[in-house]
Amino acid sequence: MTFLKIAWFEYYRRIRSKWFIIGTFGMPIVILGISMLGGYLTGSGAGLETKYFGVIDETARYGAQLRSALDERYADVEDAPIDLAIAQGTFDELHTQYDVLVKENSLDGYFYIPAEFSTETTLRFYGRSSATIRQTEIIEGILGKILTSERANALDLSMEVLDDLMVDVVVDHYDLGASQAKETEELVAGWIAPFVFMFLLFLGIFTGGQLLMRAVLEERSSRVIEVLLSTVSYNDLMGGKIVGLGMLGLTQSAIYLMAGAAAGAYYDVNVITAGISLLYVIYFVLGYLLYAGVYIGVGALFDSEQEAQQAIQIITFIAVIPIMLWTLVIENPNSLIVNLLCYLPPVTPFFMMIKISVGATSATQVLITIALMAASVYLSIRMAAKLFKTGILLYGKRVTLPEIIRWIKA
Amino acid sequence: MIELINISKQYSSLKAVDDLSLVVQPGRICGFLGPNGAGKTTTIRMLMNIIHPDEGSIQFDGSPERPAAEQFGYLPEERGLYQKISVEETLRYFAHLRNVSDANDKILALLEQFDLHERLNSKVSELSKGNQQKLQFINTILHDPEYIILDEPFSGLDPVNQLVLKQILDEKKAAGKTIIFSSHQMDQVEKICDDVVMIHKGSSVLAGDLKTIKRRHGQTQLQVIPESPADLEHPIFSDLEADIRDDAAYLSLDGNKKQDLISRINQVLAVQSIKVDEPGLEEIFIQLVQGERT
Repeated sequence: MTFLKIAWFEYYRRIRSKWFIIGTFGMPIVILGISMLGGYLTGSGAGLETKYFGVIDETARYGAQLRSALDERYADVEDAPIDLAIAQGTFDELHTQYDVLVKENSLDGYFYIPAEFSTETTLRFYGRSSATIRQTEIIEGILGKILTSERANALDLSMEVLDDLMVDVVVDHYDLGASQAKETEELVAGWIAPFVFMFLLFLGIFTGGQLLMRAVLEERSSRVIEVLLSTVSYNDLMGGKIVGLGMLGLTQSAIYLMAGAAAGAYYDVNVITAGISLLYVIYFVLGYLLYAGVYIGVGALFDSEQEAQQAIQIITFIAVIPIMLWTLVIENPNSLIVNLLCYLPPVTPFFMMIKISVGATSATQVLITIALMAASVYLSIRMAAKLFKTGILLYGKRVTLPEIIRWIKA
Repeated sequence: MIELINISKQYSSLKAVDDLSLVVQPGRICGFLGPNGAGKTTTIRMLMNIIHPDEGSIQFDGSPERPAAEQFGYLPEERGLYQKISVEETLRYFAHLRNVSDANDKILALLEQFDLHERLNSKVSELSKGNQQKLQFINTILHDPEYIILDEPFSGLDPVNQLVLKQILDEKKAAGKTIIFSSHQMDQVEKICDDVVMIHKGSSVLAGDLKTIKRRHGQTQLQVIPESPADLEHPIFSDLEADIRDDAAYLSLDGNKKQDLISRINQVLAVQSIKVDEPGLEEIFIQLVQGERT
């Protein structure tokens, strides 16, 4: 089986490369690190750049309370995100000089706490809103708590009683067929898992496609293609490449899925089941083969990677659609638009994996989409074979669209 | 034996190969010549089964049945090598594709023959142009093919390695292999080949045994170099209608007996050297192509 020899060569030379190892193990660490860092910074307010605000306090008390609350909150932080300069007086007396300070960039903005703040519960902010949105939210939260505490005191209620009066309603989620309510970890996993499945497919399919295109370009530009084609057939060469690099993508996915299953077992969350894994493999193979045809066809037509990348830009656009719309699928998995997208072969695997992982599909839909994908793969590989056979030896020739169409029709 | 019978290949409006026939005998080296765009690469690709002729047929040892791919060794004009893998990986991969047994021993023996054994683990991109060419040649013959097709094999090789390559080709010839040698360097072809085929605009303009071709198509002359260059003015040269150039006189042997001419000259002049000057392939080729244009 000559094509298996080629597949093994393509697989083995790349799986040993440092880029595969760095990419496979380094990327999740980087993504996880960035998410955790982002979460920490967003949640605490620490790490935000310090913003300088003025406060025109017509109440002569909320400004001071705001400052002491901020001091308490950021007592352990070296550079607190908010620094206040409080002035007591009326808006009419003070706003002109504050306007100047903002224009001169001495202040990032100023708050106006009107005299009737305790009853109206509204204050104003003047300044560059977009750059100070997080700090403004923090101030909103603190002043809200101050007013709530005041009102509780007026009713002779302690904060403990008030906290007791505040009721959080929690919905326990039950899957049909599951005997116990889902834990929080499971709910998070249920939200994250669909994205992870889609992202893994995305990563494996497009990384594999890019590698395939580069492999064809490498053989074409180094002319090693001539030696290969004097030894093996076009079909063996193309098939070997597709299989070898597809196995590489599957290996990468298998590593991630096993890591996910291990993490799931640790937290007692059973998201990566045998059934989902099987469907993942099916959609991965079909999606990869569909795009492999396109990438190999483009690789066979161009002399340089730059030209090929330009030609493949449309694929990048299609690839972004699932990334943009994944929340839509989770929130409305049975909507008409989502179902239509599931039957569109270039995005079928991504949307179907999201639907499958939220349990919002049927066996019929799975079978129909697999059949549609299989038909598309057949056409894509046929087209690729024609372009590969005709274009691969045409060095230095700029291929025109009519020529490509003629070759495909031939 | 390789036999191309009336093969043609058309690309859009261009007829790259036009009704070309040629025969390459086993145990002989056939020079395949022609200017750029003459159709050499297209012919070689058809021979290697990379593309198929629109018309005509290719036979091997009298049969239209094509031998297995591992019976062919092909060295393309430009470096047909992966740049990012090692010398060993390159040779092992192609040996594996061609089902070579004892690949390790064969690889090491050939690398040693070409003084490349110390570069076994080097990446191909780290090799010099000459060493890459040696590696490519080793890859062409590693599986001991019956049919060897070489396109500019001497490109980038120093004289010592040219000699090693020539010795190996002589061994292959003696072993009865069928060898096609395509080159622009006509002097190399003259040194190595037994037969030549010249093509121009996709058609054969000359084919056959090299010596016969030179005898038939070239004007054989007697080259005389007098001891004193001043003797080139001697009346005997004007009597014999000599062509005087490059400090030598060239006398046509048409209608003159070589020994008679030599005796006449020796009687009247002190001579540094007298020898028969055969026409070069390049001259013959230029004559033929220019003749076709006029």
